[in-house]
Amino acid sequence: MSLKINTKYFGEVEYEESELLHFPKGLYSFEDEKDFLLLIFPGNGTLLSLQSVKTPELAFVAIDPFALYEGYAPQLQSAELKDLGVKDSTELFYYALCAVKSPPAYSTVNLRCPIAINNDTRQAMQVILEDENYGMRHLLCDVENQGEVTC
Amino acid sequence: MLILRRRAGEAVLIGENVKITVMDTSDGAVRLAIDAPKEISILRSELVQAMHANRDAANEQSRPEELLSLLGGLRGQQPKNKGAD
Repeated sequence: MSLKINTKYFGEVEYEESELLHFPKGLYSFEDEKDFLLLIFPGNGTLLSLQSVKTPELAFVAIDPFALYEGYAPQLQSAELKDLGVKDSTELFYYALCAVKSPPAYSTVNLRCPIAINNDTRQAMQVILEDENYGMRHLLCDVENQGEVTC
Repeated sequence: MLILRRRAGEAVLIGENVKITVMDTSDGAVRLAIDAPKEISILRSELVQAMHANRDAANEQSRPEELLSLLGGLRGQQPKNKGAD
């Protein structure tokens, strides 16, 4: 059965329950927001919206961190892997949240706190990676132009 | 700022009610045990930074589509959910 929600960027959207991402702990600062949908902006498929199901006006802009930075290698802690029901960090999908600034070239991406998703169970979690080489506010254009994280 | 040298098993006391004990160190990381009253909130400092970063990310200042030109050369590498349209 198809369900409907109002979204921040796409108006009313239909979805199937199986498409929901469930965050048992919510997101940092948004602990009460447990269910989200990943919606794709028209274009080349690299820009997505992590839309709250409960709050239409709450949506994060997300990107595929591997498309941005090929060497991205998130390592979760064992307790986080256990919560997500996997044995290894490579079994999960990841998305990084962006802060969209004005002008857009000042926009940043948070590679330190990706959304990690078990695509089989649709359980998800935002984590803080131990690796301090990943920052919470990398300039998007820096990461892409130089192919590596430099700031 | 007070800087102290402590070894594994040693502790510092802060005020009457807070005790921080160094459990062990390995790979450049220190494991701490903190005894404190329940009303004192203890957060990893990066957690507070992560909360701020999320609040910033929730309040975009330009249209997200503006990022597409910055991301022009990229191709998604992971399977995606279906799009909004």
